Amino acid sequence: MIQLQNVEKVYRTDTVETMALNNISLSIAKGEFLSIMGPSGCGKSTLLNIMGLLDSPTKGGIRIDEQKTEQLSDKALAGFRNKKLGFIFQSYHLINDLNVLDNVELPLLYRKSSAKERRDLATEALGKVGLSNRVKHFPTQLSGGQKQRVAIARAIVGQPEIILADEPTGNLDSAMGNEIMDILLQLNKNEGTTIVMVTHDEHMARKTHRLVRLFDGSQVI
Amino acid sequence: MFRHLFRMMWNKKKENFLLITEMLISFLVLFAVFTLLVYYYSNYRKPMGFEYENVWVAHFSSPIKTSDTDSLKQFFELLKKNIKALPDVEEISYCSTNVPFAQNTIENNGVEWISADDGYTRVLNIGLEEGRWFSSKDDVSKYKPIVINSSLKHELFGNEAAVGKMMGEKKEQQIIGVVADTKFDGDYSSAGKATFNRPDSNDVFEHMLIKVSPDANPALEGRVYKTLAGYMKESNIEIEHLTNKRTSINYFALVPMIVLSIVCCFLIINVALGLFGVLWYNINKRKGEIGLRRAVGATGNAVSFQLVSEALILATLSITVGTFFAIQFPLLNVFDLPAGVYIAAILLSVLFIYFLVLICSFYPGRQAAAIFPAVALHEE
Repeated sequence: MIQLQNVEKVYRTDTVETMALNNISLSIAKGEFLSIMGPSGCGKSTLLNIMGLLDSPTKGGIRIDEQKTEQLSDKALAGFRNKKLGFIFQSYHLINDLNVLDNVELPLLYRKSSAKERRDLATEALGKVGLSNRVKHFPTQLSGGQKQRVAIARAIVGQPEIILADEPTGNLDSAMGNEIMDILLQLNKNEGTTIVMVTHDEHMARKTHRLVRLFDGSQVI
Repeated sequence: MFRHLFRMMWNKKKENFLLITEMLISFLVLFAVFTLLVYYYSNYRKPMGFEYENVWVAHFSSPIKTSDTDSLKQFFELLKKNIKALPDVEEISYCSTNVPFAQNTIENNGVEWISADDGYTRVLNIGLEEGRWFSSKDDVSKYKPIVINSSLKHELFGNEAAVGKMMGEKKEQQIIGVVADTKFDGDYSSAGKATFNRPDSNDVFEHMLIKVSPDANPALEGRVYKTLAGYMKESNIEIEHLTNKRTSINYFALVPMIVLSIVCCFLIINVALGLFGVLWYNINKRKGEIGLRRAVGATGNAVSFQLVSEALILATLSITVGTFFAIQFPLLNVFDLPAGVYIAAILLSVLFIYFLVLICSFYPGRQAAAIFPAVALHEE
């Protein structure tokens, strides 16, 4: 589903050159639940951003669903992200000026769909994460766990084949974290969604199919 | 997408209240400026209705101390004859104090009242639309003759003929002619409604219009002055050129427009800077949102379009409220201006505000589009 070949990422300033990722080659199968672990600053989020086409590698290539992504235009990349990928972030990234339903509808605004279709899909996605009774609430009226569930609903509303989760339980207590993890496991099991999750939590990582460890930008496992 | 953005801006209306208010005030000031501009321009495009070049106006106070009708008539006839005898003087007319471009009016129920003798239309070359101007035939007419202008005729009689119809409280005046509208208050003023009345034989004149040939020189002005002074030894005599009076009255008409335009410019600069600042601030404050939108499928152009659209939505809120107030002017007929002037001013104000917002939001929008999604999400 996702193939990374000899991926390097170097951040350059006028005086400093930082190797964020060093020769990473990784293949993730369809329906796999992979977790990425490593100390802070080892390049986990950079790797996830590259997989999510939010950032481009300095060297190397990435294929998603057998599609080369290096030469894609901004418009094509946006379309690719919209249809194939779903994102979950540690800090939720919800828009506080929109209610829960409008937040979940967001990815559907960038594809051709009617208002009713958007509403129905968003309502269905919120049902899957158990937030049907919070559709008119605003993010500021929700707990951390509820916010993350809204973020998951937003990630799955467009029925993507891949979900990229950057420390989805990082801001939550263990009970809430487990709830979120359960939702992700259910998605992987029931819908066959490929999930790549960055985490610091060994306990959460052990629940996934495979673990990749990074250290100083290099893959160690 | 539009509904989504509108909902978001509506939810942020408290945060944007000051900006909306500023745009609303700018809209109203722009509306005032454009109303004046449109009104002045529509008047400017209309013909003057008379010739003012080579026409002088002589003012003289208390020219004669007698109330005897025959003596008065003889005095003014002789004065007219002597001035007309001067070389390069083509025509002369006595008239009331409200000479063209005089900045004073004699009004009766919103209708300008002008006293003018038989030579008036020849001096000013005013066009006749119907009937005739005053002549010696009117000395023996049964009714008091009156000439009206085109605007008054259309208000009173529409497209019907006006000549022969009676006017006045006791229907004692008979309309003998209709003249073209004349812009006596300058290029930027409307002609308004006017009646022209033939002076009575016991009227004392203090104003004289003198049509001179294009070759007339300052020496002639001196000779006119001397002739007048010779007849009216205790009078204050002043001779003015209508071309100079026109320049002066036009200047006074432009002053309020210039003042309003300056106020408007300051407001527009203020709004432009405010908008620019708010949008710039928004980009920095909303980097996370911009990154998120890029992550879920927005292109750089879509982000740019969003920021511009948000500014346009704010402008629309201001314009909606502003138009509600502005539309009251034609509905309530405030200032007695044609409704078309207000409508044109509203449309121009709307277009100007949208144009301003578009200009101010374009660059911040482009900057937002250039933000790399990973960077934006990381900064949040």
